[in-house]
Amino acid sequence: MSTMLNDSLSNEAFSLPRDRSEPCISVTNLKKQYGKDSAYTLNGVSFNVRYGTVFGFLGPNGAGKTTTLKILTTLLSPSSGSAQIFGKDLVKKQSEIKRRIGVVSQDPSFEANLTVEKALNLYGLLWGLRDSRARKDKVKEILKTFDLESIKNSKNDELSIGQRRRVQLAREFMHDMDLLFLDEPTVGLDPSARRMLLDYIKKHVMSGLTVFFTTHIMEEAEYLCDEIAIIDKGRIIAFDTPTGLRQKYVGVHKTIEITFKDILNQSFIDLLKRTVLRCRKKDGGNMDGYDHNRNDNTSDIEVKGTNTVVITVNDAEHVISKILQLVYKNDMQIESISINPPSLEEVFLSIVNNKDDDNSWDRELK
Amino acid sequence: MKQVIDYIFISGVLLLTYRNLVAAIDKMFLIWQIAFPVVYIFVAGYAYSALIKDQGINVGALSITYVSFLTAGMIGFNVMNGSQIAGTIFWNDKRNGMFQQLLVMPFHKVQYVIANLITLIIIGLASAAVIMIIGLPTIFQDVNVTLWSVPYTILALVVGSVFFGSFTIILSTKMKSSEGYNVISNGLFLFFAFVSSAFYPAKGLPEPLSIAFYVNPLTYIVDITRAGIFSQIDVFTNIELVILSLLAAMVFLIATRAMIRMQV
Repeated sequence: MSTMLNDSLSNEAFSLPRDRSEPCISVTNLKKQYGKDSAYTLNGVSFNVRYGTVFGFLGPNGAGKTTTLKILTTLLSPSSGSAQIFGKDLVKKQSEIKRRIGVVSQDPSFEANLTVEKALNLYGLLWGLRDSRARKDKVKEILKTFDLESIKNSKNDELSIGQRRRVQLAREFMHDMDLLFLDEPTVGLDPSARRMLLDYIKKHVMSGLTVFFTTHIMEEAEYLCDEIAIIDKGRIIAFDTPTGLRQKYVGVHKTIEITFKDILNQSFIDLLKRTVLRCRKKDGGNMDGYDHNRNDNTSDIEVKGTNTVVITVNDAEHVISKILQLVYKNDMQIESISINPPSLEEVFLSIVNNKDDDNSWDRELK
Repeated sequence: MKQVIDYIFISGVLLLTYRNLVAAIDKMFLIWQIAFPVVYIFVAGYAYSALIKDQGINVGALSITYVSFLTAGMIGFNVMNGSQIAGTIFWNDKRNGMFQQLLVMPFHKVQYVIANLITLIIIGLASAAVIMIIGLPTIFQDVNVTLWSVPYTILALVVGSVFFGSFTIILSTKMKSSEGYNVISNGLFLFFAFVSSAFYPAKGLPEPLSIAFYVNPLTYIVDITRAGIFSQIDVFTNIELVILSLLAAMVFLIATRAMIRMQV
């Protein structure tokens, strides 16, 4: 019976558009209002996701991420606007689209009465993996890849949150798909399982998978995403590559961290501050991007402990050469020195905190 | 094209039904589904028989013992009792996140409703058969099945399953918590069970109670089941079957609509 049943769900029933230069997901002016008198949860969201890329969808709590995801995975209907996946209308061609997507939602989902192995097997069958031997082989492969062999005979009900999460993620790879939606997939995973998952996704992206990824963990977004959209209060407020976002929204500032072998005295710290200030004045006093409101000339130097200073500047190479001269003149010794670009977290905070003053994405759209 | 769509739709329903049978049903519930009517037949049946000094109960033109009456009633009652499976599957799927997960897979809410009803019908018919076999010694002397009465009885059980299964699904979609659902469904099912002809005949009751019996679809299910088992099908049971079928169709449509409109 299963052979007959699964014919209908086989991948042959649906083919992707040949022109992969077209976006995999195309969202235009999407709006969602839960009640007639309630505010718009999504208020004119537009973006495109290219095939074979990881698209990061970030935003603070209640920004509209989950609503967008629910619409794109066909769980909710939009109030207005349009969305296309694989070039097909999301509302009219739901069934066709659903056959080629995978979804790992934020909330856990599991078959409580089945063992891990049986649950994977059942999931494969539901997804149209018709041949029982092929299905068994696939289950074996997934158990091994996701390090689930030791718990394969445990019922889902008996697993820890992290183990259950791993099963939920592993399960999605029981079937072939062209687009995977991941809604905060690493919640509850330990660091090694997290890294394993991100690498596994990267591998699949390299072979053509497109991933729509929401997360609160900026390191993950930085590690995985090719492009990032930031949503807040139902509107996209930034959209670019991670590098592009850094340059566009935080400027080119870098953080220099110097640890001295000697304990720092106040006169040396004052000298340092004056040196950095002179460099800034030479720059025209423009620290564009990273903190527009900063008037205090010395506040971008922070002393940590007794022998470390952290300096935030635009022209890091120039400033560091001046500092090294100062260090040499004062007969000081440096233990370590590092220059760091702004993190994605700083970018995110900068964008979300300044969104009211700076609707750059809106301007770009116009 | 339409054939392909129909085929995909049906195969989705069958896959979900298979999934319900292997993964979503609690084994303890299945045991309870059999144990409850059997205990009722053998304990309450004989105890009440002794109490009322069994003088025979009329079913159509036939006079049968109270235990036979109760056994046939329990088979009909079993349909209603088993319909709680539909609600249990739904609430378990919601609690375990599988409801949402299945809907992002190539399945539709209507397929989910139909699969739950088919599961319920399978469980209902299987448990009815088991109860019939276990209870056979008690009704052996009165049973009189024919080629016509067997499908007639099965039809009544199927239509009854659709009615109560759909009713349970409507309740499930309207309630905000499984606790609330359990309280309301247990309360309503208690009314359905005891204000019906499952345990005692409607004839001879005070008129308001007798009317209340015939507002209750379980009475129709039980009457038709008894008529089938004892080959006492007449115009009245046919009318009951028509009313039951119309009610089942209506409740099924409401359940489907409620499921489609439900926010996930």
